[in-house]
Amino acid sequence: MPHNTDTRDTGASADDESRRGFLERTAAVAMAGGLAAGYGTLAGHAVRFLYPADTGAGVWQFVCTLDRLGVGESLSFTMPSGARVVVARQSADDDAEAFIALSSICPHLGCKVHWEANNDRFFCPCHNGAFDARGAPTEGPPAAANQHLTRFPLSVQDNLLMIQVPLDNVTVSDEEATA
Amino acid sequence: MSGLGAWLQERIPIRGAQLQELTNEPVPHHLKRWWFALGGTPAYLFVVQIATGILLAFYYQPSAASAFESVRYITEEATFGWYLRSLHKWGATLMIAAVILHQMRVYFTGAYRRPRELNWVIGMSLLLCTLLTGFTGYSLVFEQLSFWGATVAANISDAVPVVGGFARQMLLAGDGYNERTLSRFYILHAAVLPTTMIILVAIHIAFIRLHGVTELKFEDEPDDQPRHFNFFPDHLLTELMIGLVLMILLSALATIFPASMGPKADPLTTPEVIKPEWFFYVSFRWLKLFSLTFAVLSTGFIVAAMFLWPWIDRLLRRITGVEEISVYVGIVATFLLIGLTVWEAAVTH
Amino acid sequence: MTVKTKQFIVGFLGLAFLASLIFVQAMEVARKQAESGNGPAHVAIPASSKGCVECHMKSSPGIIDHWEGSTHAAKGVGCVECHQAAHEDIDAFDHYGATIATIVTPRDCGRCHKTETAEFLASHHAKAGNILASLDNFLAETVEGARVPFNPHSKTPGMDVDMVNGMASVNVGCRQCHGSKIALEGRDGSLITVDELKPDENGIPTNTEAVAQVRKDDNGRPILDVGSWPNTGIGRLNLDGSRGSCSACHSRHDFSPRRARQPENCGKCHLGPDHPQKEIFEESKHGVAFRDLKHHMNLDAKDWVLGEDYTQAPTCATCHMSGHSRNGGRVTHDPGERISWTNRPPVSLLMDTDVEGNVIKETDPVERQKLIANSWQDKRQQMKNVCLHCHTQNYVNAFYRQYDDFVINYNEKFAKPGTKIMDALKEQKLLTSVQFDEEIEWTWFYLWHHEGRRARHGASMMAPDYAHWHGMYEVAERFYQELIPQAREIAHHAEQEGKTEQAKAVLDVIQQILDRPEHEWFEQAKKLAADGQASVLPDAPDLAENHGIRKKTADTPEVKDAGAD
Repeated sequence: MPHNTDTRDTGASADDESRRGFLERTAAVAMAGGLAAGYGTLAGHAVRFLYPADTGAGVWQFVCTLDRLGVGESLSFTMPSGARVVVARQSADDDAEAFIALSSICPHLGCKVHWEANNDRFFCPCHNGAFDARGAPTEGPPAAANQHLTRFPLSVQDNLLMIQVPLDNVTVSDEEATA
Repeated sequence: MSGLGAWLQERIPIRGAQLQELTNEPVPHHLKRWWFALGGTPAYLFVVQIATGILLAFYYQPSAASAFESVRYITEEATFGWYLRSLHKWGATLMIAAVILHQMRVYFTGAYRRPRELNWVIGMSLLLCTLLTGFTGYSLVFEQLSFWGATVAANISDAVPVVGGFARQMLLAGDGYNERTLSRFYILHAAVLPTTMIILVAIHIAFIRLHGVTELKFEDEPDDQPRHFNFFPDHLLTELMIGLVLMILLSALATIFPASMGPKADPLTTPEVIKPEWFFYVSFRWLKLFSLTFAVLSTGFIVAAMFLWPWIDRLLRRITGVEEISVYVGIVATFLLIGLTVWEAAVTH
Repeated sequence: MTVKTKQFIVGFLGLAFLASLIFVQAMEVARKQAESGNGPAHVAIPASSKGCVECHMKSSPGIIDHWEGSTHAAKGVGCVECHQAAHEDIDAFDHYGATIATIVTPRDCGRCHKTETAEFLASHHAKAGNILASLDNFLAETVEGARVPFNPHSKTPGMDVDMVNGMASVNVGCRQCHGSKIALEGRDGSLITVDELKPDENGIPTNTEAVAQVRKDDNGRPILDVGSWPNTGIGRLNLDGSRGSCSACHSRHDFSPRRARQPENCGKCHLGPDHPQKEIFEESKHGVAFRDLKHHMNLDAKDWVLGEDYTQAPTCATCHMSGHSRNGGRVTHDPGERISWTNRPPVSLLMDTDVEGNVIKETDPVERQKLIANSWQDKRQQMKNVCLHCHTQNYVNAFYRQYDDFVINYNEKFAKPGTKIMDALKEQKLLTSVQFDEEIEWTWFYLWHHEGRRARHGASMMAPDYAHWHGMYEVAERFYQELIPQAREIAHHAEQEGKTEQAKAVLDVIQQILDRPEHEWFEQAKKLAADGQASVLPDAPDLAENHGIRKKTADTPEVKDAGAD
């Protein structure tokens, strides 16, 4: 700090001079540290406030009883937000591994894919993108960019298939939700 | 380092010494006394209010359908939401208190007298803006008390002759509280009033710089004491200390008495006990004492008198010849203020 | 104050502010922890039920509020998952684009809750609808009301009553516990039930003629007969051929496990003069402890396992249904699984059950053994496994000894003799074939159906006052002071009418019973008086303590015990 204007301060020896210089530096550092610690933490809290609060991984919702879905069959599950998810059964096992829930939104440009049973693939009509049964891209732009279909977590509880869906999506209009 | 310095110097052509000259207003020595540093307190709290207010606005939704829910989200779900909302609430309380204390200090030391009359008027405007911001902010929570407080206040303004009806229509965007009312309160609270206050504060400070701070001399001070000290860094450090003490105080209030959620606004049921925020207790009690028209008119008269006080004061001094007339009036007014507030706080109805 | 000092102070204050912010951080962490898992689960309304919720939120918000608090809602099971119906279902109708049915049957619940439904269907609960043709039902249908509507005999001011529904007592009384036979209105005024519809194994009706007969309202909605619906009786006979109603215990629309675990839930039906199980429980130490410790019993726990989630007190569910630490927490929806005596019939029977779950009545030991699929000892062991959470093996065994002794005493001293007397009267045709048209039929009904059950249930659940004063005391009074005199009166009356042999047969049965040592006291004094050896006839309650009588019967231990009591 270059300015010390307290006029009652008087000159002193060189030793005192250096000691005072040290003290002055310490005081300045202490002040800067205290201010940074206090206001810095407050700023950190503010950032945490603005960062979306953790709403959890979503809620588990009932899809169907296991016997409703045969091997190779699929159904369209509508999430609370109105978005559709394709749920398919890949094996006869009664665990979650036997099922797969893929978003029907093409990762390329957001068109809707559909399952082609004869070709054993999900097909996107917009740019001829194709995905295998596990959602891995096989053809078209998604294959070039290696974009997978989004998968949703599934679980099996007491012979019921459950899906974990996000809570915070903006809801689409009623018409589409009930369609 | 020097390269960067030169680069900056070229683009921002101002030298350190010039900057120091601009900011380093000599501060009268009496400001070493804490009591006289009160002017900086509302300014500091205003900054706190702007900062926390901007943060809250990220989540707040000004519509009758979602306002309450969004405040609930801030309070109960957003990380640190309860803390920031409590800071904002207590910041408002402290800011209004600080403004009133600052004004009382200016009043009782006669610092509004010639040539500083206009700055007093600016200060009065700031006081009204602060109270209005407090009122509109409280209404945004959209809980029962804030809803009915707003309704009552809007209908009070209706009693003002000539412009009353117009004022109410402008405030509520209709005859009564409706779907479009809340967004008016919001834009007043978050944009119009703060912008006005920023401009007024700038003018307020500019006036202080132009006139210089009123200098006072106390009897117990030694004569050889220097009459001024530097704003930077000495007075700035004082302000920093006050700022931090205020932050700690706010933090303590926010954690010990966090802002809560009352029942959601119900336009069909008026709560049994209805009170405005504490800073309106005076006018609320005043309204109960007299007829609506008289109370409104007398309030208007008092506010006008406060605005014009520097000139009224001069007139009174000339007529009565009593130099301290304003002090006597001030003491009476202060007792009236405290008395009515305590009265309102102490009783249910 | 020097600038240096001020700087240090600013630094210090900055750190103090930091400390307050760290405290805020700690509060936030604590708050989030307290909230996680504690508050209500997030309810995301399933897309399939969005329309239902929006409309019913306005028209009947109670339904939605209850549902929102349910586990169903938390797991995304909405309205249509339970109410959905196939077009072929007889009670299906179109409701704003969805094909639904009003009544949700165990078949519907069983789509997901397979084990629970299977256990329930195997239980006595599911057979409660069998009452519809039984003795009790004759009381409500004929004695209390009338099987066919009849004309009113004077006006009801303010209401036009042109016909009296004689089935009113059945509908409101019997069937709300036992379950109704759900019926649809037919076009010709007939009622169409499961009997006419003959549903296949999927619940789809096979009788197309009956289907064509169903009357529908203007919206195409089949009209349910008001006599059969609303009804949540536990043995309801549904249109799809399924039996029962899950909402009898799991009240719609929150299906609260918490509520199902509490005695009040069972108390909708298990109370009153004929089987006051809830009052008996309340009198017992079990009920007293429950009332006191209810709030420590973790009633909201997901799996409510005795010995793990709670041990403070039992409820009805604890002993008869809930999982406990000794059976791996397995809940059963057949409350008969742990019951070793059935105290329902006049004479209590041991609960040896066959493959179909019916109580075996075979008396030949070898034949009986062949039929047993699940013995009473197995059932008792299951119950003992519950008891042992709070009582020692010795204590539990001794309790069961006291209980067995009590039931056998009731059976042997009153139930079997009473049955024998009633059978003799019927055999000798001294009673009409119509029930409840003679006083002695009411007497006998009171004896076993009300008082006898109260006594046995009181003993089974450790409620001494029900076992004795509301129970055996009244059984004894009914037997000695009403049943015996009324039977004799019928016999004497027959004698006067010349039916000497029939009368003698009945009187002999009565006399043989009264000559048994346990009944000997009853007319001992009268005999002595007749012989001129006793001058005073003591009051009945004092008899046992009468020295003279006691001396005569000192060799029967029962009387000795009674005297010491």
